[in-house]
Amino acid sequence: MAGIELRALHKRFGTTDVVRGIDLTVPSGAFLTLLGPSGCGKSTLLRMLAGLEAPSAGQILFDGSVVNDIPPGRRDIAMVFQSYALYPHMTVAQNIAYPLRKRGVPRGERDAAVARAAEVLQLTALLDRRPRELSGGQQQRVALGRALVREPRIFLLDEPLSNLDATLRSHMRRELVALHRRIGRTMVYVTHDQLEAMTMSTHVAVIDGGRLQQFGTPAEVYRRPANRMVASFIGTPGMAFADGMVATGRLLLAGRPLALIGAPDGPVTVGIRAEDVEIADTGVAACVTDMEAVGHETLLTLSGEFGTVTARAPADCRLAPGATVHWQVRPAQLHLFNPETGDRRNAALSPITSSNETTAP
Amino acid sequence: MSPRLARTGWSLLAWSLILLVAGPLLWMVATSLKSEDEVFSLEPTLLPVEPTLEHYAVLLTETAFPAYFANSVVIATATTTVVVVLAVLGAFSLARFRYRGREAIASAVLLCYMLPSVVLIIPLYLLMVRLGLANTIASLVIAYTSFALPYALWLLRTFMAAVPVEIEQAALIDGASRMGAFFDVLLPQVLPGIISTALFTFILAWNEFLFALVLVNADDVRPLTTGVMTMLVSGFNIEWSLLMAASVMMSVPLIIILAFLQGHLVRGFGAGAVKG
Repeated sequence: MAGIELRALHKRFGTTDVVRGIDLTVPSGAFLTLLGPSGCGKSTLLRMLAGLEAPSAGQILFDGSVVNDIPPGRRDIAMVFQSYALYPHMTVAQNIAYPLRKRGVPRGERDAAVARAAEVLQLTALLDRRPRELSGGQQQRVALGRALVREPRIFLLDEPLSNLDATLRSHMRRELVALHRRIGRTMVYVTHDQLEAMTMSTHVAVIDGGRLQQFGTPAEVYRRPANRMVASFIGTPGMAFADGMVATGRLLLAGRPLALIGAPDGPVTVGIRAEDVEIADTGVAACVTDMEAVGHETLLTLSGEFGTVTARAPADCRLAPGATVHWQVRPAQLHLFNPETGDRRNAALSPITSSNETTAP
Repeated sequence: MSPRLARTGWSLLAWSLILLVAGPLLWMVATSLKSEDEVFSLEPTLLPVEPTLEHYAVLLTETAFPAYFANSVVIATATTTVVVVLAVLGAFSLARFRYRGREAIASAVLLCYMLPSVVLIIPLYLLMVRLGLANTIASLVIAYTSFALPYALWLLRTFMAAVPVEIEQAALIDGASRMGAFFDVLLPQVLPGIISTALFTFILAWNEFLFALVLVNADDVRPLTTGVMTMLVSGFNIEWSLLMAASVMMSVPLIIILAFLQGHLVRGFGAGAVKG
């Protein structure tokens, strides 16, 4: 088991900075997800952890010792590639045994370890097949088996589920979580799928533009996004944003007071999550411009004077596009961001009621 | 036109092409088995009336044919070995390492291949004389290597570039050294390419005539192509029967090699284990 520490890690390809100074400390045994849109630098970061890319600057530490100059084979890591990268000319058994063979583990021990890994991953019946004779899900399990067999201190996984269909993906998600719980090793998992990040990780690092945007537990990242990028990237449907204004202790949207706020006057970006929007008899008037039935619920796009927000409605919702509804949101559930930097702003928000309406400054 | 007629038409076309290609070969075999009289008989026979192996016996026992054959085997094997080893390592470098001038080298290699080999004949001859290699087997090995290597490099580079780099990286992480990953993982993937390269080089070295004629002028190092010609073809006479028998025996090694390696050439293609 090993903790991972990154110090001002930087990677430049030619004139492009792909990773721009990332500092991060992950406790031993964590399930860390590197989450971000394509091209954000998360895969490069993983490849630097693996030793397949050398950092342009900065340090990588495993268990407190710098591993920058240690070649991949001696970092005591295992990696599962997005493409699985199985050895095509070897059988499943030879694939899984390869890391042991390269480390001079004797034949008998090797066979036993392969048998154990195959048992865990239900590959026993497939040991004599070659990778091309396997389905995507089976290949994926072989790749995992090859990573598992050596019991390395750190597992690196590069979008390992992205080539699987939805059913298999959710199955493997649970399997991976169970595996992590069972072996307790540090795992670093790269994905652009926030669902994977939210459901599997103990820690999430949101990365965009080569920079660490936020590091925390999945709940922290979801409930208190550090900036507008994180807020919009995490959560389905995405958070709606509107331009607001703080004036004399009130938060105004489209000139209308929405809540009382303990913040200095000035412009502010207001973020509203779909699950916080309630359709009500009173509140903000808006027109239903789009409806998306996703099965267990219906997503409503509401356009009105506060801009466009998304709301969740029951599956049997009887509204039709064009209908006028009212919606409300509890002030404590609003997210505020600096309109210039996009950074989160924390401020106490409370509802405007008839009792404090008159007493507010 | 009915589909049936079309099929017949295509079959006819295919068979006439086969006949066109195989005809001279069959004629060669038939002639080598005919007696001297029959070869020159005024009513030519298609198949030998009284097949005889006397020409083969003469070639093998009374001429320098076995020596030429041995020379050819040495030259072709040595050239193939040198070319395959150099091309595999060179292609690995061109396909996998990042360094300045890599693309320039690759293009220069292709340019070399496009150069007609005739223009090299004088410079190469002079070079061999200076090096003291004129009239040696080594001079032919070097000359053939210089023709075959560019193509071999180019071919193998293409093969290697088509292999996903991830499987080598996986091997590195699994504890292999750079060369270990190369031998364990990349080499088996490009085996069909290596076999094609070896075949190409062997056939080139085996059949080459012009350079053998220019660079080698001593009987003890002559390969089959020029040896047989100088032995059997003179200004006054061509020993047709012996020439045909020699030609058949020259073709045998190539036929055997091709028969063996054909399967390997096809196997391995389409063996992808990498998805996505």
